Amino acid sequence: MTQLPDPGRPASIARRLLTLLLVPLGGLLLLALLFDYLVVVGPLRTAFDRQLADAAVVIAAQVRSEAAGEPTLELPPLVARQLAEEQGRLPVYALRDAGGRWLAGDVRLPAAAAGGAGSATYATQLLPSLGQVRIVWYRWATGGRTLTVAVGQLTGVRDAAARPLVTATLTLDVLQLVAVIALVLIGVRRGLRPLLEFRDELAARSARDLRPLDAQRVPEEMHALVVSLNALLERARATAAAQQKFVADAAHQLRTPLAGMQAQLELLERDAAGLAVGGQVSAVRDGLKRLAHTAHQLLTLARAEGSGTLDRDFVAVDLPALVAAAVSAHLDSALSRRIDLGAETVPVTIHGVEWLLRELLANLVDNAVRYTPDGGVVTVRCGVLPGGGFLEVEDDGPGIPPAERPLVMQRFHRVPGTAGEGSGLGLAIVSDIVTLHGARFELGAVVGRGTRARVEFRG
Amino acid sequence: MRILIVEDDELVADALKRGLTAAGFVVDRVGSAEQAEAAFVAEEFDVAVVDIGLPGVDGLTLVRRMRHAGNALPVLILTARDGLADRVDALDLGADDYLVKPFELPEVAARCRALVRRTRSATSAELRIGLLRLDLAERTASLGDSPLEITRREWALLECLALDAGRVVRKEKLLRAIGGWDEELTPNAVEVYVSRLRAKLGDAVGIRTVRGLGYRLDDPAS
Repeated sequence: MTQLPDPGRPASIARRLLTLLLVPLGGLLLLALLFDYLVVVGPLRTAFDRQLADAAVVIAAQVRSEAAGEPTLELPPLVARQLAEEQGRLPVYALRDAGGRWLAGDVRLPAAAAGGAGSATYATQLLPSLGQVRIVWYRWATGGRTLTVAVGQLTGVRDAAARPLVTATLTLDVLQLVAVIALVLIGVRRGLRPLLEFRDELAARSARDLRPLDAQRVPEEMHALVVSLNALLERARATAAAQQKFVADAAHQLRTPLAGMQAQLELLERDAAGLAVGGQVSAVRDGLKRLAHTAHQLLTLARAEGSGTLDRDFVAVDLPALVAAAVSAHLDSALSRRIDLGAETVPVTIHGVEWLLRELLANLVDNAVRYTPDGGVVTVRCGVLPGGGFLEVEDDGPGIPPAERPLVMQRFHRVPGTAGEGSGLGLAIVSDIVTLHGARFELGAVVGRGTRARVEFRG
Repeated sequence: MRILIVEDDELVADALKRGLTAAGFVVDRVGSAEQAEAAFVAEEFDVAVVDIGLPGVDGLTLVRRMRHAGNALPVLILTARDGLADRVDALDLGADDYLVKPFELPEVAARCRALVRRTRSATSAELRIGLLRLDLAERTASLGDSPLEITRREWALLECLALDAGRVVRKEKLLRAIGGWDEELTPNAVEVYVSRLRAKLGDAVGIRTVRGLGYRLDDPAS
């Protein structure tokens, strides 16, 4: 019962759950990623800046400034080494006076913007010949002057120092993201498993199986659904049983008086033979026979209609035995019109409802004998097909005109101009029984060359 | 041959009684299972025709009770229902044959005769189909007053056909009947013996070929 997705149908529950869970979860995790980045990188930068400021203070302490003469700056090797260790490598530094005039150190470091003494200002600048540099300017007053020490650190050096921490944090975040997605996928799939198993169980069920579903085995959410389904199944079963009972009662009420009248007329016909009323009695008897036949056909049709047939009615049916029974039953009517009724059988068994297949074949043979002219030939066959078998009835009668072929399967339709006493229900019954068996019916009728009715059962 | 009809419907019962009487049976008729059981005690019958849909105790229950009480009288069940389940039920319960209403009187008579024939062949030695008479114990046959000269295989074939007179007997079954277990015979052998039998029986009894299936010994009474 697999169906293509219907554009008007709501999306599958699995898809809905995944969309509802994964989209917000993904968004949340991306936000967490951003947040983690900021939380890690922000303080790290502050720490680096503080280190840089410490270096500026250390360097500033090495400045010698007397009232007379220019201030000088010379880093003792010990201090230089210590700075290099702290900063990753020796930072570039420069000493300028309040006016921004270069006094010592690396001339490439620019002068600071204005600021009060004892303050530190920071900036990141792209310096030609140095690259991206983080600079701190430290101002202080000494010997009646205000001096500025600028200390620069290449951002590359800072980034290299920060990288392991950032990488570790973000890797953890991404792993978390992947794990959450995987858990959601697995969870949704496993959570929906009872639903999918229920779906598969329903799909595997035959349409004739009206047994209740096991309400204990489904999860709580589906319990009410299964209970409702079971109520429906129960109602279908009750309806089918009521219909079968009605048909059985109707059969009894129809057939018993018909049997009585038919038998009485049979006796009356014998008594009236040779009398003036003899012809009338025969005509009434023929009419009654036709009525009995139609009643039988209608009852068969009512019983064959889907609802009454259950899985347990399907058994292994021996087709040659069925063919032999059908030929035997129609032998006398065929012989009375010099019709050569015969069989061609090979051993084959199919899965079906025996009494319905009996009716099917009886109708096909009845039609063939009925519409074949006196002295004709009717052959009933059965044979093997891959995964099944077939029944076939062939006659050398007049055939069915092409325009009539689609119509003959309809109830009460009779081919115009045909003789005989058919009810027009025979092929409708055949059609119902064929459908019930999932079989295929083919009416190969060639005008002037007879009719071949074939029913193929597979699987 | 004496028949008990167990049928509550007036019209059906009356027609059956007159039809079967005309066919040469001695016929008694009751309308319920209880009356039937009383009749079985009072009289001897050769066959019973029982309707399933009796008022009160139904026909199937009657058959079950009969078999339970050790009554082996052959029973032909009449029913208004045609499902296989009923047929299987009836035959499982011990009924011997089964006919769906409406029926033709000659068919009822033929089925009754066949039932009697089959039970008699088990208990007595003689089988009659029209002019043909088979002595099952002596394995001899006669046509009217004149004995038939037939071989062992022709006899086996004739017996097999006669026991099922009026019905098609499959060729395979006939082949087994004439062949025994250790002899290899081609299906043609059946045709050969049938044509010899036909020559000996003449027009008195017909053996009909049913193409692709087998043969049928016509029951002239039906």
